[in-house]
Amino acid sequence: MTTMPSAPTAPSPTAVVEGLTISYQASGHRVVVAEDISFSLRAGRTLGLVGESGSGKSTVARALLGHLRDGSAIDAGTVTVLDHDVFALDGESLRRLRGEQVALVAQNAGHALTPSMRVGAQVREALLVHGLPAQRDRVEELFRLVRLPSPETIGGRYPHELSGGQQQRVAIAMAVATRPRILVLDEPTTALDVVTQAAVLALVNDLISDLGMSVLIVSHDLGVVSAVADEVLVMNAGRPVESGPTARIMSSPQEDYTRMLIEAAPRIHGVPLPDDRDHLDDDVILRCRGVDIRYPHAPNLAVRGFDLELRRGETVAIVGESGSGKSTVATALAGLVDTERGDIKLRDADGTVHDLLGSAARRTVTVRSAVQLVFQNADLALNPRRTVGDAVGRPLRVFGLASGRADARARVARLLDEVGLGAEFAGRVPAQLSGGQRQRVGIARALAAGPTLLIADEITTALDVSVQAAVLALLDELRREHALSCLFISHDLAVVRSIADRIVVMKDGHIVEAAPTDRLFTDPRHPYTRTLLEAVLEPGHTELPASDVDEEPVAIDPRASLVDLGGGHQVRADEGVDTDA
Amino acid sequence: MTLATRLTGTRGFVSRLSTGTRVGLLLVGLTVLIAVLAPWIAPYDPVATDSAHALAGMSWSHWLGTDQYGRDILSRTIEGGRYALLVSALSTTAAVVAGTLIGSLAAFYGRWVDGAITRVLDAVLAVPAVLALLLIVSVFGNGLPVLVLAIAVVYVPAVARVVRGAARPVLSSGYVTAARARGERSLPIIGREVLPNILDTVLVEFAMRASWVVLLVSTLSFLGFGVNPPTPDWGLMIQENRTAVTVAPSGTVAPICALALLVVGLNLAADGLGKYFGVDRARRGVL
Repeated sequence: MTTMPSAPTAPSPTAVVEGLTISYQASGHRVVVAEDISFSLRAGRTLGLVGESGSGKSTVARALLGHLRDGSAIDAGTVTVLDHDVFALDGESLRRLRGEQVALVAQNAGHALTPSMRVGAQVREALLVHGLPAQRDRVEELFRLVRLPSPETIGGRYPHELSGGQQQRVAIAMAVATRPRILVLDEPTTALDVVTQAAVLALVNDLISDLGMSVLIVSHDLGVVSAVADEVLVMNAGRPVESGPTARIMSSPQEDYTRMLIEAAPRIHGVPLPDDRDHLDDDVILRCRGVDIRYPHAPNLAVRGFDLELRRGETVAIVGESGSGKSTVATALAGLVDTERGDIKLRDADGTVHDLLGSAARRTVTVRSAVQLVFQNADLALNPRRTVGDAVGRPLRVFGLASGRADARARVARLLDEVGLGAEFAGRVPAQLSGGQRQRVGIARALAAGPTLLIADEITTALDVSVQAAVLALLDELRREHALSCLFISHDLAVVRSIADRIVVMKDGHIVEAAPTDRLFTDPRHPYTRTLLEAVLEPGHTELPASDVDEEPVAIDPRASLVDLGGGHQVRADEGVDTDA
Repeated sequence: MTLATRLTGTRGFVSRLSTGTRVGLLLVGLTVLIAVLAPWIAPYDPVATDSAHALAGMSWSHWLGTDQYGRDILSRTIEGGRYALLVSALSTTAAVVAGTLIGSLAAFYGRWVDGAITRVLDAVLAVPAVLALLLIVSVFGNGLPVLVLAIAVVYVPAVARVVRGAARPVLSSGYVTAARARGERSLPIIGREVLPNILDTVLVEFAMRASWVVLLVSTLSFLGFGVNPPTPDWGLMIQENRTAVTVAPSGTVAPICALALLVVGLNLAADGLGKYFGVDRARRGVL
């Protein structure tokens, strides 16, 4: 059996990748996934691998563990980890390398943990497999290391009893359990909301300096890489674009592609707010008063006392972490969940006021077509068995908006043109589209109904930054052309900054602060709003907020109420909130 | 790629099937073809008795010999699948159509509707199929409509549970939510958004249930509750000829072989189609 070196012999690199080219065979021709990639990892240093989806960054990262996807092959280059050629190792040595010397933390901890095993047992297993002592106190120590709350008892819980951030911490505990020399983080925070993301990255940063590992972090988000990486390698379509120290790349990128990525990243500093915000008239089209929403048979209310006014042509963003009730508001407005108390009124184009209570099936055609949803996950939002033309044309038929087939076809073509796709897309099925294109189809489908109110529920979360910027721009343009009112739901303040007129911040089903966009960014009053602002990661912004445990940083007082500070700025009078005007 | 285009591209379709699947489809196709063409290809009248040549062994005039009434076994075997196949085709279709509808409605409405439907299905599932059929046939007789309806009722719960399991993840997808928000009713949503996405499961279910039903129909005939003598039928033939199995073994062996080939063929086809459509039962958590 090959023996692994147990101590570093010199400050030489722990891993060296040289001229790595990986391809796979697809229906007769060779598809190159990664071409001529070279980099090295050093102890205590972090390399960030940045690129959009399909750039081959994950494939390269997994090559460090000697893993290739089925059907893929190495055409050229070498991957040397701790002086061993990874792809020349036999099965047993490779098993020892994985987990013991090189550990992986995958994107979605919810999928990476076994749902039927207690998390403590899973961490113990990681230790036992590599023949390490796995007593209770060792597992506890690991849980303490990743700063999980109550490390003595949390091992007895199942993955579904933990939050997304806690699951990711368990996954990190498993990865560092064997004190690996190299840690590969594959989009470790993509599935988390901003506050949790900042906390997890702060933990990763501390672990790197404490344990002296070499780290490779893969991300599509330049902000994430900025916050943790010492050096950056930018990839595009399998090819290396640019590499160098993080600060240099972020401040003076040499390549157009890198510049484009940096510019497309949403940010809250140094970007002026759009100034065409004086278009609003006082025509309120949506008014919510004291709305309580409860999911059937749930013990607690999902949303409590929700108030909102939305004017014609206005975009209001609802921002909050997962579980804050922001999406529940959207589903209630769309008639997918019943409200328990309160009042929602919608005024349509000809001035008639409708009640927006009760389920969609009981609403009139006018109301149903006036409120349209665009969904978060574009992959699931379109029926894979129906063509794009079918999907966009369906609302026209259901709401009786088109006269005859020819008219419907013409309208579908026009809608597809409007969202920047072109009529030729009508015959395609969703599998033939990219993520951004699918989201555009989703928007066209919503527009087809001729809505007054467009609800966009985290529509850019699954998209690359460059695509995200384009979709946001499209939405803003459509809003202006059609005098649409938009309710934009997001967990990221940086994303909504460029398009929202007003922002409503939600936490635990309550509104904690509501203000015009510039007021909220310049004068945030509620501590939770400030937490959200601090958690935003921007390219070139290398500081992380100090956050120990991703548990309740802010207490919400159930008896507190919103206080009006004037100028449309409202804040919930929780403890420690400055309510002076 | 839609299912329709997958199926119309026949050459691509066949070339991508495994050998086992092709053998399965061939066996099923051959059995059906023989059953359809039986009146023209059977060498003798299957019900004509000939006491002079009873229990004759294999010969050039009677390839598989004759039974105790001197009827040609080859002709009876060729004709013997007609009734079982007809009953199977009708009742499997009825069971799969009804089961798909009930299963997707249960998944669509969820909550108490789902609970009520599932409990009723569980109750029906708890009754042994053969026992239930024997009871129904002894009360209502063994006419074709009674038999088809009874078998369909017996198999609806199994189909409905599988379809319910397959439909549930589809119902939580965005396109179904969009349709609900448009205020569409249950049947259009099931027909347009759900069914095309679970059609693979339904087809595999059809192939699987068909093999069960063929066996069940033959079991009924064997027990004397299916077709009436002297109509040729595999189950009935096995029952009639088993006393003479030492003298004229082909009378029992031939229908058994025919039945086995059909059932094996159906199972191979179901397995292969499942793999082809990517229907992984274990992964979806349905049985």
